[in-house]
Amino acid sequence: MLDTVVAAETPEGILLELHPAGLPVRVYAFILDWLIRLGILYGIDIVVHFLGEFGVGFWLVTVFVMEWFYPVVFELTRSGATPGKKRFGLKVVMDNGLPITPAASFTRNLLRVADFMPFGYGLAIVSMLLRRDFKRLGDLAAATLVVHQPQPQRRATMAKVEPVPPVTALAPRDQLALMALAARAPTLSGERLNELAALAAAVCGLKGQRGAAVTHRVLGVSQWLMGRRA
Amino acid sequence: MTPLHFEELYSPEWRELQGLLDQLLVRNKKTTTAGAPIRGERFAVLYRRACEHLALARARAYPAYLLDQLERLTADAHQVIYYRRDYGLSRLKAFLTTDFPRSVRADALYVWVSAGLFYLPVLVIGWLVYTHPDLILSVVDPRTAASFDAMYSDAAASVGRAAQTDWTMFGYYISHNIRIAFQCFAGGLFAGIGSVFYLLYNGAEIGAVAGYLTARGHGHTFWAFVVTHSAFELTAIVLCGAAGLKIGHALILPGRLGRIQSLVAAVRNCAVVVAGSALMLVAAAAIEGFWSSANWLPHALKYSVAAVCWLTVLSYLCLAGRRAD
Repeated sequence: MLDTVVAAETPEGILLELHPAGLPVRVYAFILDWLIRLGILYGIDIVVHFLGEFGVGFWLVTVFVMEWFYPVVFELTRSGATPGKKRFGLKVVMDNGLPITPAASFTRNLLRVADFMPFGYGLAIVSMLLRRDFKRLGDLAAATLVVHQPQPQRRATMAKVEPVPPVTALAPRDQLALMALAARAPTLSGERLNELAALAAAVCGLKGQRGAAVTHRVLGVSQWLMGRRA
Repeated sequence: MTPLHFEELYSPEWRELQGLLDQLLVRNKKTTTAGAPIRGERFAVLYRRACEHLALARARAYPAYLLDQLERLTADAHQVIYYRRDYGLSRLKAFLTTDFPRSVRADALYVWVSAGLFYLPVLVIGWLVYTHPDLILSVVDPRTAASFDAMYSDAAASVGRAAQTDWTMFGYYISHNIRIAFQCFAGGLFAGIGSVFYLLYNGAEIGAVAGYLTARGHGHTFWAFVVTHSAFELTAIVLCGAAGLKIGHALILPGRLGRIQSLVAAVRNCAVVVAGSALMLVAAAAIEGFWSSANWLPHALKYSVAAVCWLTVLSYLCLAGRRAD
């Protein structure tokens, strides 16, 4: 059970796969956010030096807002992530896959007080290490989840291979295996592809043989099964 | 149907959906490139179609690249379809006129317990320190006690502070008081013990200071100072404590739910209570910074305004939002 995928069902009846983010990447995101907040506060500090007593009050209010509401404001935008989280490809969602609600964002960030105990986010770290979905206490109470944003994948382009009809009738399972091989082919090394194709050499009547020519024929059969005819 | 045929047949719809998504997400516009507004019903239809196609593709075990493409498309569209945008003024109005007071009344029992845990030490410690002013030294060090004397003496230009101005103190009250209230709430996550501790501790501290200053003869300045903003501040602390007690209770006695489920259910109402309390604390900080500290105002005026504030807060929490019930 190495996979930590959490499946969430939508009202449309499909399963969304959520990939919870683990401790290290969340620590990086936190540190980045912390530096950003520090930078903003430092900038404001310089400005308010010229504003006298009003400036001091303004600065104290800013410190407060930054401490408690910096994450809330960013989590409620469309990206659902603070700049730090966004940089590391994370976002916060409800644990049923929906975008985060204002109440949930408010709760999970208020409960940082509890997560911080006894020092340095001790309880948050313990909780994240113990749970398969890496929730800290605030996430547990607010029913939220920090997930990896799905990365846009490059579209796999299948090599142009002449389609060849299989020499024997193929069971549905075998057809699926061949189609999966064709779709994976661009990501495999030549040797590995030959090895795998040799297992299926029987479909083009070359049982027991291997090599680039056999691979070519097997991929041809796959193309035929995928629906290509010319 | 072969995978290629499937893709060929439906990919125009996927491309159309992807195009609408790009426009919504990347450029965050509500119009198409042609300038026409994006039609929600078309988006919804395309989304549902893509969901059907994904279900079909999974059932027929089509190649992974096709599934990946559809999974990403539906996941992105799902986020757009279910994104909530109701953060406007009408939402704030509904929150203030109904949601907040109703949530407080829904947890009335916790509010009473929290009020007891907070006001009991105020009275007991306050009375003890009033009769034996030396006891203040077991709460604070002598220098702090002396500074209390200076802050609330008749000679002080503005009450309740050393030298800072209204704005500085406003900032200080915001960050300091709201932190206390939030701690009272978050402490509930430790089976409610944290909330109980913070309520008792803050009650004892406030009681000690009040008792000491009254015993030292600064009572009239002190009470005139605290009586107005305490309507908002102390009430908000009690409410946050009540929210903390509720989640503590939900953890200790989850009933028929799992412990986590029980916690999530309890927190839903608490978030409203704590958010409302935070707004009350901002009001309290403004009053404390700009009104309470003005020593030149006649005490009679301060007490009358305070009476109005207390009445308003209590009747608001008891009565507001009942009509729509």
